[in-house]
Amino acid sequence: MDAIALTDVSKSYGNVLAVDGLNLAVEAGRTVALLGPNGAGKSTSINMMLGLIRPSGGRVEILGGSPDAAVARGEIGAMLQSGELIGELTVRELVDFVRRLYPEPLGLDEILRVADLTELARRRADKLSGGQAQRVRFALAIAGAPKLLVLDEPTAAMDVESRLRFWKSMRDYAAEGRTVLFATHYLEEADENSDRVIVITRGRVVADGTAAQIKSGISDQVVRFTLGGQPVAGLDGLPGVSAAEISQDVVTLRTTDPDATVAALYRGTSLEIRDLRIIGADLEDAFLALTRES
Amino acid sequence: MPNYVKIEVLRMLRNRRYIIFVVGFPVVFYLIFSGIWGAQTDSGGVRAAVVLMVSMAAYGAIAACLMSTAVPWAQERQSGWLRQLRVTPLPGWAIIVTKLIASLLLVLPSMVLVCLAAVLTQGVRLPVGEWLVLIPALWIGAVPFAALGLLLGSLLPADAAQSAAMISTFGLAILGGLWFPVEIMPEAMKSVVHAMPSFSYADIGQHLVAGDAAPPSAVVTVVAWAAVLGTAAVFAYRRALARA
Repeated sequence: MDAIALTDVSKSYGNVLAVDGLNLAVEAGRTVALLGPNGAGKSTSINMMLGLIRPSGGRVEILGGSPDAAVARGEIGAMLQSGELIGELTVRELVDFVRRLYPEPLGLDEILRVADLTELARRRADKLSGGQAQRVRFALAIAGAPKLLVLDEPTAAMDVESRLRFWKSMRDYAAEGRTVLFATHYLEEADENSDRVIVITRGRVVADGTAAQIKSGISDQVVRFTLGGQPVAGLDGLPGVSAAEISQDVVTLRTTDPDATVAALYRGTSLEIRDLRIIGADLEDAFLALTRES
Repeated sequence: MPNYVKIEVLRMLRNRRYIIFVVGFPVVFYLIFSGIWGAQTDSGGVRAAVVLMVSMAAYGAIAACLMSTAVPWAQERQSGWLRQLRVTPLPGWAIIVTKLIASLLLVLPSMVLVCLAAVLTQGVRLPVGEWLVLIPALWIGAVPFAALGLLLGSLLPADAAQSAAMISTFGLAILGGLWFPVEIMPEAMKSVVHAMPSFSYADIGQHLVAGDAAPPSAVVTVVAWAAVLGTAAVFAYRRALARA
């Protein structure tokens, strides 16, 4: 049984299609990153998985049933994108309150330890820094020992140090065989903390695999040069070129074989090429290529 | 759910605004008013110290219901706390029931303090039987105001809920004759006053301290308001949940 199964799911707001025929399945026990730029439909998809919003079409199945049923059984824990705490309550009071809502929660001390909050347990929520409040929200998400943990851009508002500590906490939790799905628009986060990356853009899945596969699938390199006012027709037909872009006088060719492309550029055309550079692909490039292709 | 009620009460008891405006003000008003007029007696022979005790307890209850419900509830909807609760196994109905119970519990501190102030500073003495009817009547009678608090909190954004709670509290207090005797109001206003839940609510208390039974018309008025505001609050709450 898949922990998450979305079949042809769409969601529109008026004329805006936020999620457009999304299909994805996540096996139990995996840690999956949902990667995409802002506005890709990540939060909308997550909110549908949690039953907070209803899809306009298609079917959302969580742990073999409806999202509402999974939430009611206490099998889901979630850290939503925004959410303030109750300022007058202490960290310990908040965590204890939420854990008692679940049928088989983790122990209070264990939650505080995993979320790195033991030292802050007695502090009032309105006296926490942004990163500390995020850790409390993570603690609330894991408090019920959910089978499925969903995190929507969990490290927003955290500094570098807090991020590292946060991901360690997340991996500790996932290590116990639980399913984790997190949304992010940081490639490194997806790369370092998941065993599968699903890339979505404009509400559709555009790539799905391990971070390494996604990188190798987009092994394109970039050839960039200045062309001045010369005609640009035919550049996208050069050997190896998968995409060509012209912005002002600068041409950017995405190519799987930069040697062949450059050779053909010099031998096969009479263009006057200046400032030629070959740039290797990194994750950021891979990501941009994926988002552009869709 | 007891645990949820506990944290709701706890957080308000730590809220400075609640302590000052809801718990503090009615007692302070009582001390001032009864210090000036406490010794007078009305046509029915009841001392003003006793009449004022009922009025200020009623005012405190209304303030507690509106302030401790409308504003935090509107904030929770806006800040995402409600969404956080929606992804836990806590059922939707438990949230509104908890809010109602917590709101009624938060009525008690100011009510008890006003009565204590009356007993200690003005030497007010009632037969035990009267206390045992008066306090529960004022307590249960606060239901329409708790419903109004939930209604405002479900409908309005936090800033507006704050102003609306304030205006409703003062409006209900003044038009209910809690701050000024109804007798001094112009004739045209009296019909408005008599339709107010706050007037009937306090009126029940005034009859009880005078040793009379609660007037049925006042009981009917309070119950009718409770039904209307309660129904509206449930509808508004469901709408707010769906939009969380």
